[in-house]
Amino acid sequence: MKYTPKEIPEEINVTPVHPLVNFAHLLATVAIATVAIYAGLGFVAVGLVSHLSPETEQKIGQVLLPAAAPPPLILEDDRTQYLEQLLISLQPSTLQFRPPLTIHLVDEPAVNAAILPGGHVLIMTGLLEAVESENELAFVLAHELGHFEARDPLRAMGRSLVFLALASALGLGSSSSNGSSALITLTGNLNELHYSRKQESAADQYALSLIVQKYQHGGHSLDFFKRLQEQETALGFPVHQPELLSTHPLTQNRIDNLTQLARQQGWSLEGEATPLPEGLACPNFEECDF
Amino acid sequence: MELLVFLTLLTLGYFVGLHLERRHFEDIKRREHKTLFVPIANFGAKQPLPTAQTAQLFMGSVVVSTDYFKSFTASLRNLVGGRIVVYESLLDRGRREALLRMKEQAIAAGATQIVNVRLETSNIGSQTANNGMVAIEVIAYGTGIR
Ligand SMILES: [Zn+2]
Repeated sequence: MKYTPKEIPEEINVTPVHPLVNFAHLLATVAIATVAIYAGLGFVAVGLVSHLSPETEQKIGQVLLPAAAPPPLILEDDRTQYLEQLLISLQPSTLQFRPPLTIHLVDEPAVNAAILPGGHVLIMTGLLEAVESENELAFVLAHELGHFEARDPLRAMGRSLVFLALASALGLGSSSSNGSSALITLTGNLNELHYSRKQESAADQYALSLIVQKYQHGGHSLDFFKRLQEQETALGFPVHQPELLSTHPLTQNRIDNLTQLARQQGWSLEGEATPLPEGLACPNFEECDF
Repeated sequence: MELLVFLTLLTLGYFVGLHLERRHFEDIKRREHKTLFVPIANFGAKQPLPTAQTAQLFMGSVVVSTDYFKSFTASLRNLVGGRIVVYESLLDRGRREALLRMKEQAIAAGATQIVNVRLETSNIGSQTANNGMVAIEVIAYGTGIR
């Protein structure tokens, strides 16, 4: 057989496509997919917020609690019962289809309170030291109930809610395995749940209505904020505000808005203050140095 | 800052990589044309081999590596699946270069024909690291006869 040399044809094994075109195509595909997934997750998260069953919400709360309420968590304290009773006396019937409320006392000097998904109310002991009447304390609790009713804690979790709901549906979150701790990392810092001004003032208005329902008047419930306001004006500059207040609308604004609401609704802002039980600032109501 | 480094590497990889690749392909084409007169043929087990005075094994081997641009494009492709087009030219260069090196050696030794040529490849570089180096060795070997 005679061999006749033939030129080797090109581009059999190399696809004739410009590398940049190929690159742009790939980049666009990945970018579009990412945006679609991100938007889809946001859409699902918004839907989940209002359609989550109480059981799932409870499970999510159980997963989140250890991360949000780190030690020193006070487990056995008579004050918990008092706070629970106060909370239940405020609780409106609209909350009966939501997970039951639980009080958790946290040994921390910060003047703060928070509510987590699943009805976990965290109360820092600093708050118990700062309040001067039951009405003030009840207002703070009712404010947190307002966030709970509006499902703000769920909303604030954003897209990570989808993963948590999925995990609890698959039964991953219930056991305290490394799976749930990975989820917490994914969810980020829960103590930094941020609510918008709008959510805050809605919670405030809700709180005042609960207070009026319980005490028949809104008197003394705002004293807590007024004291802080006075401190500010006396010093001429904003004092270091407790977290509960600094993350919330400006104090004066807040009082003004609530006063206006009370006038519109015909609620009285005058009335007797209900005293706090003796020794609320101390463990088990026992005497302490505070 | 990180993005700046990334973009610099990507641009560098693209332009330098493209330039070197073009030059290599030109070189390959020139040498392929020059060595075209020596046929390469493979024979099956039951086919009679051509008679020869001398026979000698010749081997050509080459290692080629990707550039940053190719690696990144391939990692994007990893997400969606499909043909990794950017690596095709790389492998093509490797195969042809290895064949050429073998062939040039055989010609220098006076071979008139190269029979039963085989190609083998092996991975060099880390496969575990995500953005690790991808380098490949291509070996071509065959029997040069005279
Ligand atoms: Zn709030």
